[in-house]
Amino acid sequence: MQEDYINITLADDDEDDRLFFTDAFDEIKITTRVKTFNDGVYLMDYLNSKDATLPNVLFLDLNMPRKSGLECLKEIKQNPKFKDIAIAIYSTSASEEDIENTFVQGANIYIKKPSDFKTLKKVLSEVVTINWQYHTNSMNKDNFLLRF
Amino acid sequence: MIKTLSNNISFLRTTLYISAFVILVVGALTYRSITEVTKSSELITHTYKVNVELEQILSNLKDAETGQRGYIITKDSVFLEPYISGRSKINNSFAELKVLTKDDTILKESLIKVNSLINKRLLAFQTSYRSLPKGDIEDPNFIENFRNGRALMDSIRDNIKGIIKLQNNLLKQRRSEYESDLMATPLLLFSLLLCSLILMYVAYNSIYKNIKRLKATNEELEIFKESTNQSEIVSKHGSWTYNVKRDEFTYSDNLYRLLGEQPQSFKPTIENFLTYVHPDDVEKLTMQVEQMKENIELPYIYYRVVHKNGNIKHLKAYGKSVVNEDDETVLLGTTADITDEIISFRILEERNAELERNNKELSSFNYVASHDLQEPLRKIQTFLSRLIDEEEGKLSAKGNKYIDRIQNAATRMRLLIDDLLQFSRSNKADKVFEESNINLLLEAAKQDLAEVISAENAVITSDTFPTITVIPFQIQQLFVNLIGNAIKYRMEGKIPKINITHQIVEAENEDNIIKPKYSHYHKITFTDNGIGFDNQYADQIFVLFSRLHNKDQYSGTGIGLSICKKIVENHKGYITASGQPEKGAVFTVYLPIA
Repeated sequence: MQEDYINITLADDDEDDRLFFTDAFDEIKITTRVKTFNDGVYLMDYLNSKDATLPNVLFLDLNMPRKSGLECLKEIKQNPKFKDIAIAIYSTSASEEDIENTFVQGANIYIKKPSDFKTLKKVLSEVVTINWQYHTNSMNKDNFLLRF
Repeated sequence: MIKTLSNNISFLRTTLYISAFVILVVGALTYRSITEVTKSSELITHTYKVNVELEQILSNLKDAETGQRGYIITKDSVFLEPYISGRSKINNSFAELKVLTKDDTILKESLIKVNSLINKRLLAFQTSYRSLPKGDIEDPNFIENFRNGRALMDSIRDNIKGIIKLQNNLLKQRRSEYESDLMATPLLLFSLLLCSLILMYVAYNSIYKNIKRLKATNEELEIFKESTNQSEIVSKHGSWTYNVKRDEFTYSDNLYRLLGEQPQSFKPTIENFLTYVHPDDVEKLTMQVEQMKENIELPYIYYRVVHKNGNIKHLKAYGKSVVNEDDETVLLGTTADITDEIISFRILEERNAELERNNKELSSFNYVASHDLQEPLRKIQTFLSRLIDEEEGKLSAKGNKYIDRIQNAATRMRLLIDDLLQFSRSNKADKVFEESNINLLLEAAKQDLAEVISAENAVITSDTFPTITVIPFQIQQLFVNLIGNAIKYRMEGKIPKINITHQIVEAENEDNIIKPKYSHYHKITFTDNGIGFDNQYADQIFVLFSRLHNKDQYSGTGIGLSICKKIVENHKGYITASGQPEKGAVFTVYLPIA
């Protein structure tokens, strides 16, 4: 049964963005289970807990209080337990510096939050259906930032 | 200079030695010839004396003979007087001759022979006049005696004449020797003296030249010293020497001034100097001075001094050891007043810190612009899009119109934020210049604009570019903005054509290049067939937020060309625009060839 779901997790401190995110997945015709956390600390606490369901794709906002997305990324990449989680950076900005840093730390894709709900749905459904195994192998700095 | 002088000194020394030698030779020769001449004249006198004595003997004999004859004729014993006195006179003469001829064996033998002959003759006299009273002159014995006497007398005369002749020959020979000696000596002396004179002249000449050169050098040194004094004052440094062995210092005038004192106003010793050194630096400096005495290579020494009026000055000293002519180690040092440098350095540091703060503020502003401003805008847009999607048809026509307007305003705000970000990015400090293939950058720019180029069927032609050292992403941005601009401001109903050319030009031939820093530039022109503009706005279009058209007609923020200007300025280049309304515009970019 569990195999039929794609487990999606989002860490974002912005309530509106969490709302857009969950609404978008509600409307997408893919069976997903979406979990959201209000910041990096809540996220890491959950992931490190014993009965945690590890997500297939983890969306990380960068600018969060207490623990930023970049810090979460570093922690996750250091722990072999999380090696199968695909990580999508999900941020308002797409500065060169942020893209560079997250790429170097091993994130799988960088999404600049769209300003249109239709686009959002399109982007999210695209990302969760990517064959990550294949994508990771062919990943380079040029296709790291998702263009839409 | 020093080398020629030392060469000259060795030349002078050689000249002196040669001159001294010549004088010694002259002296020796003179002494020798004087001795020779004396000896010659003595020999001549000697010969004369011998001759005179011999003549004397002969004459005495003749007197005796005459006396004897007189006696024989007159029988008067008065006539015998010369004979008696002649005997002793002859003896005297012989004694004299004996002394004169003691070194001449041949003469001696001849004289002995003569002497015996004379003795025989005298004996013959005696016999002849003794026999006289017994007989008369016809007595055959007497005649025989007389004849014998005569023969003896002839033999004596011959002998003496022979000796005199020999002596005369000798005299002749000696005289000629004497004469040649007298002739040769002055010639030799004269030529030697001439040599000396020539040498003296050469030496004098050389000394004179040296003195002249030394004088000129001295003058140069004097000037150099004066200019050194001046340069010490102007550049605020002083010099000193320290003789390690003798523990002696000398300070230049300006070193005293660096301490706030009159030149040479106190004895230059380390103790006196230390009274001016800042109390906190005394220990350090004393230690360094000790090291200075031992080390050959010395590092810079930094310390402070306190003037009597309380001013604190920062000094920097450097010393180098050399060995002087007396084989003593001497430190040559320079001390500079670096107070101004330190003050300006501090000011510079403060300004740098301020600039850094400003930069940080600017980048935090960038972050605000890129993130914090975008976030609420994005939400407005997202909510708007959801509102339109979900509530479509439920709103009144007016409501729909308002939503449309809100959407337009939000889109425009996003454009502004994006362009501002772009502009501030072109300001960024970390610009890396690389040798770049400009053709590839142009291709990449076309790629960025692919959508709009194909939508408008724009035709872009270009020359082949050489590699140029540029900031690659900025030049790509420049191409994107200029081509994008040309397409945006196209003529209605005309296919936009953009021609990009490249050539290398000399700065002085280009009126657009003002106060060039380089002699040659890459000139890149972008010529389009768009709507153009009135040339009076040629400068204005590069000003931030300035627009020539209403934003209803052409979307735009008025930032694009400002970014172009910024990028070209980052490359120390120039950008100009010229236009003709309804015909088109030409943008010209100059990039320096470093």
